[in-house]
Amino acid sequence: MRSLFEWVDALPSSIALRESLNAYPTMLTIHVVSMCLFAGLIAYWDMRLVGLTLRKVPVSNIPTRLFPWALTGYGINLITGGLLLYSQPMRYYGNFYFWAKMALMLIAGINMFWFHYATYKSVQAWDQGREIPLNARLAGIVSLVLWAAVVVTGRMMAYSGLMPGWWNNLNIGA
Amino acid sequence: MMQSFFEWMQGLPFSAWMLEETWASPIIQCAHLVALVGFAGAVLVVDMRLLGRGLIKTPLNQLARELDRWMIWSFVALFVTGAPQVLSTALKQYYSPFFWWKMQIIVIGLLFNFTIRRRVAFAEEGTLGHWPKVVGFLSIGIWTSVSVYARLIGLLS
Ligand code: HEM
Ligand code: HEM
Repeated sequence: MRSLFEWVDALPSSIALRESLNAYPTMLTIHVVSMCLFAGLIAYWDMRLVGLTLRKVPVSNIPTRLFPWALTGYGINLITGGLLLYSQPMRYYGNFYFWAKMALMLIAGINMFWFHYATYKSVQAWDQGREIPLNARLAGIVSLVLWAAVVVTGRMMAYSGLMPGWWNNLNIGA
Repeated sequence: MMQSFFEWMQGLPFSAWMLEETWASPIIQCAHLVALVGFAGAVLVVDMRLLGRGLIKTPLNQLARELDRWMIWSFVALFVTGAPQVLSTALKQYYSPFFWWKMQIIVIGLLFNFTIRRRVAFAEEGTLGHWPKVVGFLSIGIWTSVSVYARLIGLLS
């Protein structure tokens, strides 16, 4: 892993991005705005599952009508995030919050697929209702917590001085 | 006048505490972003509906009434987590043009929401021609530029 990061770090295109004055502000700003599109819509989908809001909207309406937009936001988010990483791989390699964020995204993804291929199969039975199955509500809560944690670890990546002590002891960035 | 007000904010014991306490600023910044996600979703679902996208099977005014509360309360959360940052970095904010643009557009956005956008979104659908589309478009533009200017305060000041 480390040699992959070091290899990218030495690529001319990575160096060019890193040394460009406008690239970092532009990519980070687009990263935040596309996050709003993705995470904003997903948050209301999760809250619908939990039963906190939009209770009169049939559950199955949201994936068909909102997910294309949410996924567009996610796509832009992944591209800009990937470019930010590509431009300074060695800055993030030793960063606890970076790895925590990637792990959290992975778990959030697993939760999403699990929900989609198991719980969601029976949606016809509870589409209109206020009685949402426990599994669906749990999936919603887990998703809300995980994406909020992705946002938090994303912002914390800037604080390389605030990583947990045990992580610093591993000396990964050195 | 304005400058001495910002100097006064910067000099408050609370501002000194925010700057001394290692975790205060990061926690507040993270909370500001989480609140932003709640705000963005509440605004977007209605704006997309105004544009004729998204949840078109649900009546617009029902959607708008329900999400109104979420929009207002997430704005309150944005204010509560934004104000301490203004206090602790008052002079940086004062000298950043992006901060002033952000605040001006927020005022415009709030006025626009409470005078025009809400009225259009709460109205009987199909009676206003193309206006809902214009309003949805403007609303997305306003809040996107607030976010862009906000992010640029930290990056370019
Ligand atoms: C492949 C996926 C992603 C990668 C590689 C990635 C990478 C990055 C990088 C390198 C930064 C800059 C950190 C810094 O220099 O301070 C960042 C910031 C951030 N990311 Fe991501 N990201 C990804 C996906 C996401 C997702 C899905 C979310 C939220 C749902 C997210 C939320 C954030 C936030 C909130 C920030 C802080 C922005 C700020 O400082 O205003 N990221 N990300
Ligand atoms: C009156 C309410 C608000 C106040 C007082 C406020 C204040 C602030 C301050 C002082 C910062 C830190 C800027 C810096 O020095 O880097 C900030 C960041 C930010 N604000 Fe606000 N804000 C408010 C509402 C909003 C709204 C309505 C939005 C979006 C629609 C927004 C989006 C952002 C964003 C995207 C950031 C950058 C986040 C980061 O990466 O840390 N804020 N805000």
